[in-house]
Amino acid sequence: MMTSLKKGLRSGIVFGIVFIFLMLIGFINVGSNMIGDLLGNMENLGEEARLPVSNLLIFSGLFGLFTGINARKDEGDGKWWSGILGGLAGGLASGWLVWLAVWGSGSLYMQGVDFRTYLPNLGPERMRYLLFYSTPEAAANTYLTYFILFSLAGSVLAWAVSAVHGLKRGLTRAKESVTQWLDTKTVRQIFDNKWVLAVVMITVAALLYFLPLAWGSYWNYIMGTVAIYILLGLGLNIIVGYSGQLVLGYVAFFATGAYTFALLTSPAPHGIELNLVLAVGLSVLVSTLTGLLLGLPILNLRGDYLAIVTLGFGEIIRILIRSDLLTPLTNGPKGVTNVGQPNWFGQVFSDVNYMHLLMLLVLAGLFVAKRLKDSRTGRAWIAIREDQTVAQATGINTYGYKILALLLGAAFAGLGGALFASRNQFTGPEDFTLMVSVNVLCIVIVGGMGSLPGVVVGAFVLKGLPELLRELADYRLLAFGALLVLMMIIRPEGLWPAKRTRFRRLNRDPYENGAAEVEV
Amino acid sequence: MIKKLQNLKLTPGLILRLLVGLVVLIYLGWRIYQIAFGEGTYGPDTWMRFLITGLVIGGMYALIAIGYTLVYGILFMINFAHGEVVMLGTFAGYFMLEAFASIPAPTPADPDLTFLNAQPVIALVLTFLAGAGVSALLGYLLEKIAYRPLRGAPRLIPLISAIGASIFLQNAAQLLFGPQRRQYQNPDLLWRGTGWMIPVGGKEVMLTYTGAFSFILSILLMVGLFILVKKTKLGKSMRAVAENKQAAALMGIDVDSVISKTFIISGVLAGAAGVMWGIHNGLFNHFVGFIPGIKAFTAAVLGGIGNIPGAMMGGMLLGLLESLGPALLGLDFQLKDVIAFTILILVLIFRPSGLLGEALTEEKL
Repeated sequence: MMTSLKKGLRSGIVFGIVFIFLMLIGFINVGSNMIGDLLGNMENLGEEARLPVSNLLIFSGLFGLFTGINARKDEGDGKWWSGILGGLAGGLASGWLVWLAVWGSGSLYMQGVDFRTYLPNLGPERMRYLLFYSTPEAAANTYLTYFILFSLAGSVLAWAVSAVHGLKRGLTRAKESVTQWLDTKTVRQIFDNKWVLAVVMITVAALLYFLPLAWGSYWNYIMGTVAIYILLGLGLNIIVGYSGQLVLGYVAFFATGAYTFALLTSPAPHGIELNLVLAVGLSVLVSTLTGLLLGLPILNLRGDYLAIVTLGFGEIIRILIRSDLLTPLTNGPKGVTNVGQPNWFGQVFSDVNYMHLLMLLVLAGLFVAKRLKDSRTGRAWIAIREDQTVAQATGINTYGYKILALLLGAAFAGLGGALFASRNQFTGPEDFTLMVSVNVLCIVIVGGMGSLPGVVVGAFVLKGLPELLRELADYRLLAFGALLVLMMIIRPEGLWPAKRTRFRRLNRDPYENGAAEVEV
Repeated sequence: MIKKLQNLKLTPGLILRLLVGLVVLIYLGWRIYQIAFGEGTYGPDTWMRFLITGLVIGGMYALIAIGYTLVYGILFMINFAHGEVVMLGTFAGYFMLEAFASIPAPTPADPDLTFLNAQPVIALVLTFLAGAGVSALLGYLLEKIAYRPLRGAPRLIPLISAIGASIFLQNAAQLLFGPQRRQYQNPDLLWRGTGWMIPVGGKEVMLTYTGAFSFILSILLMVGLFILVKKTKLGKSMRAVAENKQAAALMGIDVDSVISKTFIISGVLAGAAGVMWGIHNGLFNHFVGFIPGIKAFTAAVLGGIGNIPGAMMGGMLLGLLESLGPALLGLDFQLKDVIAFTILILVLIFRPSGLLGEALTEEKL
């Protein structure tokens, strides 16, 4: 009983503090409005232009529910009332914390204090909404009641799920049987059949061809960004995912690629206006050379040192680009405009053409990365990642392979940079902040280190979703940071972890010839 | 020595290192010759000014660097979010001073006199306590939430978690307090831009009160830390845990609590450095901790990571190099940050164990 009480209290305090934090950064208002958008009650607000309070109530209720569920988390077969007690404790703790915060801030607000001097996200309009357009006492009591009620409901719900025998077990069993069925011979044969494969391929190709035509320029822009980030992710995946070298200055290669392309094709600072294919080739080459230059001296450093050195290198490149020293070369902080546009028999590329080009390149990149992974080189990288000393002992030239990984990763970044500059028709030093490196690293890690589908999923989740949820744009980086920490604690292998190729033992089946690759 | 040289194999990496070293040395020699014997662009007063700036900034770097070194010495991980711990300390000090500036003095002889100017010493002490307290709490929570569940995981995992925590804290501060720059309210006693005038070479150089105050305070804090680590029981257990966690646990040391206390101590120093930064430089926003954090890490590496005197020396040295460097190398002052990062890269290439550090074993490196 004491443990469930303690657990409930802890859950309540954590959720209460999170709720207050979200209140201070204005997220509760934004979140409530999103609930309103979902429910469709944001139109016809009436003459007073008051936002519907029900959305805020739903938001708080959900919070209370999670408090209760969390209070009962990992509870085995305790008595039903002990869990309820935990839920009550959680609701009381979080409710009182929120009560204090709302009552305190509400009273100050009523006395005419403007919080915006210190807390710019807590304007008077938002404050009135948080107080349900009523008095601080009434609002605080409403929150308290809601938290207690919904926390209780959450704990009962969690108890019900665990108590209804077989509900959870049934779910896992269903999942298992589906995976087993997918693994059976008949299903495999269907997917290995070349006709089936051809049909699937043609459908996918047709989808990829017609989608950009159908969904308009806004979506093409977003998906183009996602595609460029997939390319970057594939490159960094080679460095971080395959060979296990943590590089935090990936943006340096991206920037050199973009700038090489922009300076070679733009009329502005130098007026070279080179052939585009040649320019792309040169950008990839220059990025690769940058990788070599950086890699040769530092790649025998390990882990965290390498991360910090490459981070420093990325910052150096950005500072140099915008410095007075290199302004004659790079046009300084103003950036390069009128970057070369590809054309097709004299016709400049539209957004649809761009999307097709990017899709083709992403497919090519995926193919290259997949073949690399399965090659001797890829296996050497993975050996280095798993244990460098052992890899060296088996005769792998670790230094050489690590440099190769960095070079290939830099080449991908160079290509991505050239595409980025060309598509935006502009490139400036502020496009290449540390956050780009962090974004790409997040893509690789959230997707699953070393996993190719993981990179695609990661790019969609981290670059596509935030573009869709425009209201949440301000909170995107906050969520990124929290996501990284949570991922490392809960699921360090990523959303779509890489399957490990293992080799079946030779003498396991005497009728089978040689070693067969199995995915485990 | 000669035997060592004979055994040396000329790998491409080594040749590159030698070449880089040679180029740097020749350029440095030429610049020093130019400064000493050529017509000087900078008079002795300017050099004095650079020296003072370097020492003041160096003291703050040293305090932050100690935080990195303490944590690295015990957990072998870079506490990437340490810069953010500094930043929140700066914010805490700011709010404290704002509060004191809005309270009237206890015995109001003059209605305009605020508590801040009536009792500046008490106000400053409380401000530093607030900054250090908030940072210490943050360091404790950081370890508990973001690092402790990852104890024993592969090295990359806590580092990524630390990067995540850094991004989270930076953006949390931006969302809470806004992206605009804010200005510290100093008491009149420590008004920025006032100070002693020191005559140097016929001209006068100002040693600001804030600068002198920060420098002395950082030296005091470093001495305090040194005593704590060398003389107290806690310091002894910290050194034991840094040496060998299993053995320390067998000797009856609560390893988890020592780690927590290490984070608290590094938080206290970081918070003090953050408040100093605000008092000395005035303007700050949520980015205030990030670049100094990375530079302080550079300082810790420069002195030999895991080594406390090394971190102090590295911090001072980095501050000096950064303020004297551009003039010494004949570069633009915009490239100040490039110097710090280049030093980091050079140190890691030529002497990864740092100036004072012992050669780290495979496990720690």
